[in-house]
Amino acid sequence: MSTVIELEEITKVFRVLNRHTGLKGSIQDLFSRDYKDVVAVDHVSMKIEDGEMVGYLGPNGAGKSTTIKMMTGILEPTSGKILVNDRVPYQNRKLNAQHIGVVFGQRTQLWWALPVIESFRILKEIYGVSDAAYNKNLMMFDDLVGVSELYSKPVRQMSLGQRTLCDILASFLHDPGVVFLDEPTIGLDVSMKSKIRELISVLNREKGTTVVLTTHDMGDVEALCKRIMIIDHGKQIYDDSITNLKQFFGSYRTLRIQPAGYDSISQEKIEQWTKELLVLCPQAQNVVMSSSECNLSLLVPEDEVALITVLAAMQEIVRVKDMGIEEISTETVIRKIYEGEADKKADVLAGEEV
Amino acid sequence: MSEIQLEQRTKRSLLFYPKIYLMIITQDIKSKMHYRADFFISILGMLATNISGFVAFWLIFQNFPSIKGWTYHEMIFLYAFSLLALTPVQLFFDNNWSLRFAVYSGDFVKYCFRPLNLYFYFVSEVVDVKGVGQFVFGLAILIYSWEHLAIPVNFQTILLLIVAMISASLIMIAMMTAAAATCFWIMNSGMVMVFLFRFKDYAKYPVTIFNQAFQIFFSFIIPIGFVSYYPSLVFLRPGHIHPLSYLTPLVALVFFYGSYKLWMRGAMKYSGTGS
Amino acid sequence: MAEIQTKKLPFRRYFALTRGGILELTAFRMSMALDFVGNIIYMIVVYFLWSAIYESTPTGIVNGMTFSDTLIYLTLASAIFSLVEVYLVWQMGRDIQSGQFSLYFTKPTDFFLYQFFNQSGNIATGFIVTFLPTFLIVDFLSSWRIPIGVNTLFFAISLIFSIVINFCIDFMVGTLCLYTQSFWGINMMKEVIVLLLSGATIPLAFFPHTFQTVVMYLPFQAIYNVPLQILISDSLSFVDYGKYLGIQAFWSLVMILLARLFFRHASKVITVNGG
Repeated sequence: MSTVIELEEITKVFRVLNRHTGLKGSIQDLFSRDYKDVVAVDHVSMKIEDGEMVGYLGPNGAGKSTTIKMMTGILEPTSGKILVNDRVPYQNRKLNAQHIGVVFGQRTQLWWALPVIESFRILKEIYGVSDAAYNKNLMMFDDLVGVSELYSKPVRQMSLGQRTLCDILASFLHDPGVVFLDEPTIGLDVSMKSKIRELISVLNREKGTTVVLTTHDMGDVEALCKRIMIIDHGKQIYDDSITNLKQFFGSYRTLRIQPAGYDSISQEKIEQWTKELLVLCPQAQNVVMSSSECNLSLLVPEDEVALITVLAAMQEIVRVKDMGIEEISTETVIRKIYEGEADKKADVLAGEEV
Repeated sequence: MSEIQLEQRTKRSLLFYPKIYLMIITQDIKSKMHYRADFFISILGMLATNISGFVAFWLIFQNFPSIKGWTYHEMIFLYAFSLLALTPVQLFFDNNWSLRFAVYSGDFVKYCFRPLNLYFYFVSEVVDVKGVGQFVFGLAILIYSWEHLAIPVNFQTILLLIVAMISASLIMIAMMTAAAATCFWIMNSGMVMVFLFRFKDYAKYPVTIFNQAFQIFFSFIIPIGFVSYYPSLVFLRPGHIHPLSYLTPLVALVFFYGSYKLWMRGAMKYSGTGS
Repeated sequence: MAEIQTKKLPFRRYFALTRGGILELTAFRMSMALDFVGNIIYMIVVYFLWSAIYESTPTGIVNGMTFSDTLIYLTLASAIFSLVEVYLVWQMGRDIQSGQFSLYFTKPTDFFLYQFFNQSGNIATGFIVTFLPTFLIVDFLSSWRIPIGVNTLFFAISLIFSIVINFCIDFMVGTLCLYTQSFWGINMMKEVIVLLLSGATIPLAFFPHTFQTVVMYLPFQAIYNVPLQILISDSLSFVDYGKYLGIQAFWSLVMILLARLFFRHASKVITVNGG
C-alpha cells in the first residue's frame, strides 16, 4: 500500500487587507498597507493510502477548501511539504491535473451547451485516454447508472442530479489516481443521494481510485467513509475511523421516549421536564433533551449518569408509551466536535496516536 | 523529473491544442445553431453596424474629395482591413467579457483543474458567431476596394495580406486580453473593457490625421494604428512603405505576449474565494 | 389619453426611483471617469478627422457648414447621446432572459413609468457629469460660438422631448425581447439606425437631397438634429421654434402611444405563455 497523498505540517497564511467602509475608506484601502494575517490552515499533517475513501469534514470557514486547493495544486502552501501522486501539486499544475479528478457539488465542469457525450469525447482528447480505456469506462458507467440515455442531452438541460452524476463519471473517465469530491450530494433529493453514493462507492472499489470526499452531509459520511478527518479553525482535530469516532464519544447513548398523550412537544415542555429531571437526578445535568414531533430524545453521557437511572426518572415525570436506546449518531458526534467539546478528549487522543 | 513524467510531457504533440480547440468550437457552433432566431439576428445586428460605417464614409465622400490625401477607395480599404482584423477577437476571444463574472462568483476555479493552459481553456469555451457577418462584409468590401485600387493579386501580396491580418488581429486581441485581466485586481473591470473596446472604431482612420502627439499615442500606447493603417500601407503605398509597417508583426507579438502574461499572472494570483 | 392623466398621482413614488438611480450610478465613480475620458478621446478623434476632411476642400464651406460648424454639431451630438442613452434595453433584456421580468407585474406601478423614472437617475447624472462639461468645453474651445440666449431655453425644452422619444424607442426594442428572447442584435441595429439617420454620426446637411427629405420625416432626427438646430442656428423666429418643438411634441406623443400599445400587446404574450 503506497501513500498517495501526504501532507506534512502544511500551513497556509493569507494576507488580508483590513478593509474600511464608505467611499473614503475604499480610497484609503487602495493605498493602505494595513494587512492582517489569517491562518487558514495550521500545521495540518495527513497520509492517505492508495484506494482509501476518506471523508474530510469541518464547519464552514474551517480551512477545508483551502486544504483541498493545495492538494489540487491551485494554491501554494506557506510552509510544509505536500505530495500528491509523488508530485508537488502546485509546482506543476498541469501535470498534477492529469492525474486527478475534481468534482464540485454545484458547479459543473462539463461544457454547458454540449451534449454530455461530446464533453466526454473532448475530455478523452484532453487527458489522452486510449480508445480501449475510454470504451471500457463508458461501458462500466452505463452498467452502473445507465448513462447512455443521457448522452445526447446538453448539460444545460439536465437536472441537478443528472448533472452531478455526469460530473462524477467525467472525473473518473481518465482513471486518475485521486478524485476529489466536494459536496457531491448537495441539493439532491434522497433517492438521488443514495444513487450517487452507490456510484461513488462502486467506483472507488472497482477502480481502486483514492477518493477524498468533503461534505456536510452525514448520510454521505456514514454511507461512504471508513475514515474521516475533521478540521476546525485551520487545525486538524480528528483523523481516524468512524468506529473510533463513536467510541470517542462512545460513552454517550441516546434514549428515545414517546410520552403518552402528547402530539407534539413544545420547547416549554422540554425546559420544564429538564428541570424536573434535574431535581430527581442531579447527576443528569449534562443530559440534553430535544424533541421531534411526539418523540423525546435524551442524549445521556453514560460516564456521568447511567441511562437506566435517567429512564427511571423520566418515568416519574411522564407516562412512557414507548422507548428505545440508540448509539450516538455520527452527526451528533461531529456536531459536538464542532462545538468544541472534543478539545479535552482530542488532546488525549492526539497524545495516544503518536 | 522521473521517466513517467517525461513521457507525459512529450506525449503532447503540436497538434494537441488545435485539435482540442476544433472539437470544442465545432460542437459549440452546432449547439448555437439550434437557437436560430438569435443566431441570425445577432449576425444581422453586427452587419448593420458594419454597413453603417460604410455608409458614413460614402456620405463623407459625396461631399469631400479626400481625407488627408486618402481617396474614397483607399479609405474603404482601410475600413475593410480593420473589419477583418477585428473579427478574430470578436469570434474567438469573446469569453473575456465574462471573465469578471467567473472570477467574482468563484466559478473561475473550475478552469484550474484540467491539464490545460488556463488562457486557452477559458477562451476556447465561447465562439461568437456574430463575427461571421462582419468577416463576410469586410471581405466583400476589401475585394471591392482592392479591385478599384488595382492592387496586384499574386503570391506575394496574398502572403503579405495574411501575415498583416494575423498581426493586426493580435493587437486587438492583446488589448481586450489586458483589459479583461484587470478584473483580477480591480472591481470595475467591465468599464475598462468597454473603454478599450471603443478604440476599435478609430482603427479605420489613417494615423496621419492626428498631430504628432496623438500619432504617438495611437501608435505605441493604444496601438490601433497597427490594426489597419500601418499594415495597409504595404498595399496602398507600395512605393514608399513606412518603416513602422514592417514592425507590425513585432509590435503585435510583443503586445500579445505582454497581455497574455498579464492575464496569466492574474489567474495565478487568483485561487477562488475565502477558505 | 386617460392614462396620461393618472400620471399625476403617484409622482412621489416615482421620484424615489430617480433618487435611487442617481445614488446607484454615483457609486461607480471610476466607470464615470472612464466614460468621460472615452468621450474626450472621441471628440479629439472627431476633431482631427474632420479637420483632415475639411483640408481637402477649397472653400472651407460645404453644404453650408464650415469646419467649426461640423465640429460643434458632432460633439454636441455626442453630448446629447450621453444624455439620452439609457441602459434600458440591456436591463429589460436581461430581466426577460432571467425570468425576473414577471416580477414587475406584481408591483403596483405602471411598467412604462416605472422604467422611465428608474432610468431618469441615469439621465440626470449623465446631464450633470457628461453633458454639461462637454457643452461648456465645446463652447469654450469654439470661442463661445454657441449663441446663448433664448435659444438655450428652447434647447433645454427640446432636450426633454429628445429624452422622451429616445426612451420610447428603447422601450419598444426592449419589449421586442419578449418575442425574440435575444436583444443584442436588435439593439445594435437600433443604435446604428438611430445614430445614422438622426444626423449624429454625419450631419444631415451632408446627406444627398432625396435622402435628406426622407430622413426629415422620421422620428430619429427629432432626437438629435432638432435640438442641435435650435441651439446653433442664428436668428430663428418664434414661429421656427414653435415648428421645431411642435415636431418633437408630435413625435413624443406618437412614440409614447406606440410604446405603450406595443407593450400592452406584448404583455399578453407573458400572461398567456407564463413568461
